[in-house]
Order: sequence, then C-alpha cells, then structure tokens
Amino acid sequence: MSEAGGIRPAWSEPFIGDAVAGLVREARLDQLDREWAFDGAAGRGVTVAIIDSGIEADHPAVGGRVREQVVVEIEDGDPVVVEDGEGDLFGHGTACGGLIVDLAPEVELISVRVLGADLKGRGAAFLGGLEWAIERGVDVVNLSLSSRSEALFADFHEVVDRAYFAGVTLVSAANNSPGASYPSLFSSVVSVAAHEQPDPWCWYYNPKPPVEFGAWGVDVPIAWKDGGATAATGNSFAAPQVAGLVALLRSKHPGLTPFEIKAVLAATADLAPPA
Amino acid sequence: MTEATDAALEVLLRAARETATARRIAGDAETALLQSVVDAAATIFDAEASSIALFEPDPDRLVFRVAGGAQGDGVVGITVAPTHGIVGYVFSTGEAIALTDVASDPRFDKHTAERTGYLPRSIAAVPLMDAGATVGVLQVLDKRSDESFSLKDMDLLGVFARQAAAAIEAARVGRDSERLLRNALTSIGGEALDEEALDALVTAAADELDRDDEAPFWRLVDRVAQLRGTSDADLELVDEILEVVSRHRSHRLGRYGRRPR
Repeated sequence: MSEAGGIRPAWSEPFIGDAVAGLVREARLDQLDREWAFDGAAGRGVTVAIIDSGIEADHPAVGGRVREQVVVEIEDGDPVVVEDGEGDLFGHGTACGGLIVDLAPEVELISVRVLGADLKGRGAAFLGGLEWAIERGVDVVNLSLSSRSEALFADFHEVVDRAYFAGVTLVSAANNSPGASYPSLFSSVVSVAAHEQPDPWCWYYNPKPPVEFGAWGVDVPIAWKDGGATAATGNSFAAPQVAGLVALLRSKHPGLTPFEIKAVLAATADLAPPA
Repeated sequence: MTEATDAALEVLLRAARETATARRIAGDAETALLQSVVDAAATIFDAEASSIALFEPDPDRLVFRVAGGAQGDGVVGITVAPTHGIVGYVFSTGEAIALTDVASDPRFDKHTAERTGYLPRSIAAVPLMDAGATVGVLQVLDKRSDESFSLKDMDLLGVFARQAAAAIEAARVGRDSERLLRNALTSIGGEALDEEALDALVTAAADELDRDDEAPFWRLVDRVAQLRGTSDADLELVDEILEVVSRHRSHRLGRYGRRPR
C-alpha cells in the first residue's frame, strides 16, 4: 500500500518510479520459441495435482512418480481430505497421470480423488479438492472434470482466482455440453479441447475463448485400470497433454505465472498441422 | 343436488378413464422419444448397439432404459453403480469419452458386458445434461465402418444426447405437474375419488394442460367442485395450484423448446 494514505490506488504501485524495474520478466513474447521454453526440461521440481478418480501408483505408466494420494470425503456437508488407499476407481486418473509423466518424466504427481460413492456431495468434494491442492502449494492442477452446479459458481470463482494469484496453473478439459461448466469456463483457467493430430508436441492456440487451447485427444494411447492400457478419445485426454507442457515450462522457468504460461503456450503453438 | 353432482362426477370419470386408456395404449412418451434417439444413433453411426442409461436415486444407480441396434437388446433393464465402468465415469464427470479396443483390456467391465450378451471393441459415451445436472449417459458400441470414433462422431453424439435430455426434462416437468394436480384433485374430490379414479383424472387433466390451461376439461372439474359444495377457500387454493401448474409447465417446456443452440 502507498504511504500517502491511500490517495494513489495501490494497484498502480508496481508501475510507478523505480518499481518499474521489478517488472522485468523472463518471458518476452517476441523472443519466445520452443527451444527457450522447453529444451532440456523434464518436469523436475514441479508438482502436479490430478483431481480425478484416483491413481494406481504402481501402474508402470506413472513411473513411480506419485508422491501423495488423498480423497475428499463429505462429512456433514463439508469436504474433509484424508489419505487414500483406493487406487483408481475408473482408470481415468491413472490415464491422465501417465500422459503427464510421458511428457515430463521427472514431475511429482499428487492424486486428489473426488470421484466416489457420494454423488450428492460431488460438487462440494471437487471444490474442496481443488482448494486443498492450491493450499498444498502444487504448481499445476489437471482437471478433467467440471461441475454444473450454479450454486457453486461463486465458490469456484473465488478458488480459481486464488489459484491464479498463488501462481497455480489450472488446466481444465473443456465440456462439450451446453450450459454452465465450472471451472473450465473461467478466464484464468487453461481450457483445453481435443484435436486429431497424433502428436503431444502439436498444440493450437485459439484466440476465441472460452476454449483457448487444442491438444491431442483422439485415439490417445493411455494407461487404464488394473495395470491395463487402451486408446481413448475426449477432451479429458487432451487436458493432461497441456498439463505436461505446463509442468515442463514451470521446471525450466519456475517464475512463470499462469498468465505468462498461457502467453508462452500461445506464442509457441502450432499454426498448421505438422507435415 | 347430490344426484347432479354424482352424475357430473361420473361423466368426468368416464372421460378421464378413456383418456388414460388411450394414453396407456400409446405408451409412455418419454420412453418412445428415448427409443427413437437410440434407434437413430445406431442407424447413423452404423453401430452394433446404442443405449441410454438414466440415473435413479435411493440407492444411486444407472438403469439402462432403452437400446437400439442389432446387439442392443440385452442391456435393457440392467443396472450399474455410478462408480463403475465407462458409463459411470461419464456420468460422474460429465465428460464425453470414447475408448478403442476395450475388449483387449483385461479389466474392462466384462461382467456387465457379459450380462448383456455382447462384448464391444469400441465405445463412445456422452453425458445427458439437463439444466443443472447430469441425468444419464448415451452410449454407442462398435461403429462398423471404423475401429474408433472421430471428433465429429463425438460432436454428433452430443447432438443426440441433447435430444434425449430434452425428452427427459419434458417428462420430469410432466411428472412434477401431475403430482401437484393430484393434490388439487384430492382436495376437491375428497372420499369420492379412489386411487384409480385419481390416476385417471390426473392423466386426463395433464393431457389437457399440455394443450391449453383454459381447457374445457378443467372447467368441468371446477364445476363439479362447485356442485360438491367445496368451500370458497378450497376452490381458491385449487385455482392457485392450477395456475402454478400451468405456468410451471409452459415456462419449463417453452424454455426448453428454445434451448438447442
């Protein structure tokens, strides 16, 4: 805050006088390329939370990178986060983890299971899991699910803003159904839909929101339940590809904010399908 | 006066029973619409099977209501947990997915597949969403022309899902208003109406409301209520309930009619 008693809005402080020197950033859009952004990065030191159906920690696809597994339970209407020994309910969380580890083999994964038996508390559990991951200090959150609960709009908005200000990048699968979809429709979230190019290093930036990024999401080879594997199609398999790229970016350039990460991803996106 | 009332009530009940019978013969509109969606999906995708599972609470479960395609029939009536399999995943997350080569996956939900008598190679499944929640799942098994589903297929399947969701929402609005109607009729008819008579009246009145809330049928009900000497306060209450019912109905159905974008 300004010492002049609040006459000058505090928001201007970074832009005034010597403070401007503090605005020098790593990312210069005119100098960005994939070499600068990703070369040599393997995800080391970056933590990615996967808010999903759990993860099979011993599945070969996740390469022993799972550091913590929790589940969000609803007690008296409130979310409570406890240790999780269930593994993966559907196989989907393991699939997401496998795709992220493929791109960023040294990343650390945290499984936050919010899918489970209690359907009534689903939205609240999802919100509670997201909140927990942000407080836990993860760098990236992969969200291959969304809530349609209008009642939770304000709560999701608040938590997503908190993530943005804390430097936590939320990567969310776009939902193709019409109507509300939180948090994938919020502006600070990296929202991803599927494209057909079979290449995790092919991604597109779409300047027409809400869905700003396209990543491989058709016939993607994935890990599945009980040590299995299959091939799958859907936005929920495109999102982890982008989460993997974000993990690489954060490991090479730890200071990047969610806004800068979006800008780097946009600046280094493909402009045409690979030859 | 009592004689006139009884005669009028008798006419009313006969009309109501005829309408209810006609409706039973025509079948349940919701099921018919859902059936047409899965039949169309199976045909358009040239798929071995297509089906719709709807959520039902207490206990939470997904019930396969309708199926189409050459291999579809075995699944109708089967119930799965919402925490189980591809259908459960799509229902729980609201995310559309397709899997290729599912049968080769050793732990694919073979138990359910075997109960249906058909083991698919590929599956595409999309959520059925109404205004506020996921209400079910539409799935298509084994497109004959290709071993997997494209993004265009998924978009198209989403269009079918919106059709099905519209049918489900309309039916739910119908059920809500029929419950309100039943309460109104109970307060008019008192002991003169048994369960069967109530059923018939509710069905017939609901049919009329579908068309016009100033329907002659309802004027007749109103007249009978007056003849029976129902108190002014009760009549007023019935009028209010009816107004709410018809508004609720035209509002919900009207809004849904505009919805596909």
